[in-house]
Amino acid sequence: MTNKSASVVLDHITKSFGEFTAVNDLSLAVHAGRVFGLLGPNGAGKTTTIRMIVNITAPDSGSIKLFGKQITPELQDRIGYLPEERGLYKKMKVGDQLRFFAELKNVKGKEADLRVDRWLERLKLREWKNKKSSELSKGMLQKIQFITAVIHEPDLLILDEPFSGLDPVNVELLKEIVLELKASGKTIIFSTHQMEVAERICDDICLMNRSRKILEGSIREVKRGFSRNAVALRLVGGDPVLEDRSLVSKVQRHSDGVEALLAEGATPQALLKELLAAEATIERFEMIEPSLHDIFIEKVTENV
Amino acid sequence: MNKLVAIIKREYLQRVRTKFFVIMTVLGPLMLLVFTIVPGLLFSLKAGGATRIAVLDQTDGTKLYDSIHSSLLQRERDDESNKPPNIAEASNPNSKDRIENARKSITSSFRVEQVNPNGRALEEIKRELNARIGRDELDGYLVIPPDILTNSESKTSYYGRNVGDVITRGQIENRLNSAVRRQRLIQQGVKDEDVDALSKSVNVTTYPINEKGEEGAEDSGAGFAMVFIIAFLIYITVLLYGQVVLGAIIEEKETRIAEILFSSVRPFQIMLGKLIGVSLMALTQLLIWGLAFLLLALLAVPAMAAQGFMDINLPHLPPFFFVYFFLFFVLGYFIYATIYVLVGSMVTTAQEGGQMAMPVVFLLVAALYLAFPVIRAPNSSFAFWVSMVPFFSPITMMVRIISQTPPFWQIALSLVLGFVTVVLLLWLASRIYRIGMLMYGKRATIPEVVRWVRQS
Repeated sequence: MTNKSASVVLDHITKSFGEFTAVNDLSLAVHAGRVFGLLGPNGAGKTTTIRMIVNITAPDSGSIKLFGKQITPELQDRIGYLPEERGLYKKMKVGDQLRFFAELKNVKGKEADLRVDRWLERLKLREWKNKKSSELSKGMLQKIQFITAVIHEPDLLILDEPFSGLDPVNVELLKEIVLELKASGKTIIFSTHQMEVAERICDDICLMNRSRKILEGSIREVKRGFSRNAVALRLVGGDPVLEDRSLVSKVQRHSDGVEALLAEGATPQALLKELLAAEATIERFEMIEPSLHDIFIEKVTENV
Repeated sequence: MNKLVAIIKREYLQRVRTKFFVIMTVLGPLMLLVFTIVPGLLFSLKAGGATRIAVLDQTDGTKLYDSIHSSLLQRERDDESNKPPNIAEASNPNSKDRIENARKSITSSFRVEQVNPNGRALEEIKRELNARIGRDELDGYLVIPPDILTNSESKTSYYGRNVGDVITRGQIENRLNSAVRRQRLIQQGVKDEDVDALSKSVNVTTYPINEKGEEGAEDSGAGFAMVFIIAFLIYITVLLYGQVVLGAIIEEKETRIAEILFSSVRPFQIMLGKLIGVSLMALTQLLIWGLAFLLLALLAVPAMAAQGFMDINLPHLPPFFFVYFFLFFVLGYFIYATIYVLVGSMVTTAQEGGQMAMPVVFLLVAALYLAFPVIRAPNSSFAFWVSMVPFFSPITMMVRIISQTPPFWQIALSLVLGFVTVVLLLWLASRIYRIGMLMYGKRATIPEVVRWVRQS
């Protein structure tokens, strides 16, 4: 698991609060220049894990290495963190606020001013620079907070639910920036329980549930491991065929068609043949790979 | 270090720039003036004009009436000497002026008339006077017994509508006393013009002697007054700025910024930065007030001197005293401010914090009360221990320094203990703050806090 290009390495870390174990024997490696998805339901231990990485709390046991070094407060300057708990100083002007957070990361003087202007421009918030943050909308505040996480050009960027509450245009804007940062060699840890977002943006994932890691790997590997022979259908008629348990093990009806999970040993060809024989009108017949969403649901529920 | 500076800067600028700060800075001294002067004025103010008093002098030839009449109408020396030592008088150059004015308004507030018995019986006269009081033509009357000048046990009576006005009652009693005393002396053959000189009260001037046996300059009691000033200053400062400190500590919890801060700065730096930032704001405000006061004093002193108030003496205190004054004031402020930091670290909302901060004020008041036994026995072991306890030392040690300056090592030890306490409290607060941050919306119980402190 220890890899030279790994930006973050967690080695068997455990953290408890009294009786409650929040993170249990977690090991993982996050590689430089990749987007790492830390996924899991609410209360799985994601935020606690992140807090240990950014050195807010220390693990009870196990070790954490950042950029090959034991974590120290000095290394905090190389991390950008957008916590799930969002907050800004209400009565402080946006520009002053961003400057303050830049200073907390040791970005000073003219350089700080320059970066504040550049990022406000980039996120289309320039005209809000001298407004108090209490005058801004929720979406704007979220973008301001995103800036606080990236203003010091961190080598490791940790985003906890960065897109929740944003409109699609702004989601695309932030996604674009995240992918740019990735292209410039930064490491990104991305925590969410929105699987659709994770699926589009992550290279590697770690799925946590009930304080433990239950799945890890690149999105490709994970999906390959979950190939379930599912077919997406939109059709009229052919219902008896779908009820045939030797062909189809499970049917899920959506508003826009049906998803049929093939039974053991059954092939898509056999299903198509039977449907045609039953004179069903087929508008869509498509092999689908499992979505992260399905994998998530399956792993999390079986884990219970 | 840079980060600490950033926090201090933000805390300071954000607070100094607010309208609230500007308004408080301007209105603060005005409010202080209002709170110190108005109650005094109200107390001495008697609405409804002069008190109308009738005097029934039953002595032979009504010898007393003239004396009582002039005594009631004149300014009375007894009033002054009977007054308890006034702290404000030694401390506040304006107070003399104020008391003077207040007294003038009081002394002129009697209208005296003589009741002529015309051979009537006492009962009849009383009935008539009672009727007049009932008709609101009179406020009260004095019945002077015939044997008052010869019998020290004889009883004088005052009848009045409003006997609840203790101030007026006290004045009447005082003035009657001096009138009777004067008349008795005259009757014993003392010459009228000698009475004043003979009945003058004794003035004791106090001189301190230090441990080397040297005699000091005349002690005007100003030192004692200074203790109360320092106690009052700490008290006011803590009341004014303690809540600000509390609010500053809680701000990040209420706005949920704490997590971002923690990912960049050590909690101890946050605590220290906030404390220093708010303190600098307090210092700015106090400096502005102080300068305004100084300016006023510089303008007022010559003006008052021109009006004849030459005896405004600033307390004669050795310079080292002012160094200690400053040090213990700063220490006292920081000890109590860090308690507010500690409270702030434990609670989640300012409202909760306000409730939990209540005992802080009690602690301060306790320190003030402890000053009394200490001033009576400044070198007792009780005084020693009390002046070593950090929460009390700013006041109790100051009392000892003023009354009988203790050895230097004791003062130094008290200061060191105090500042160590400040650092310890800050450290404790930062630890509680960091762990408490992980649980929003719930106040930490004491056992939890103890566990947190042991943890991590």
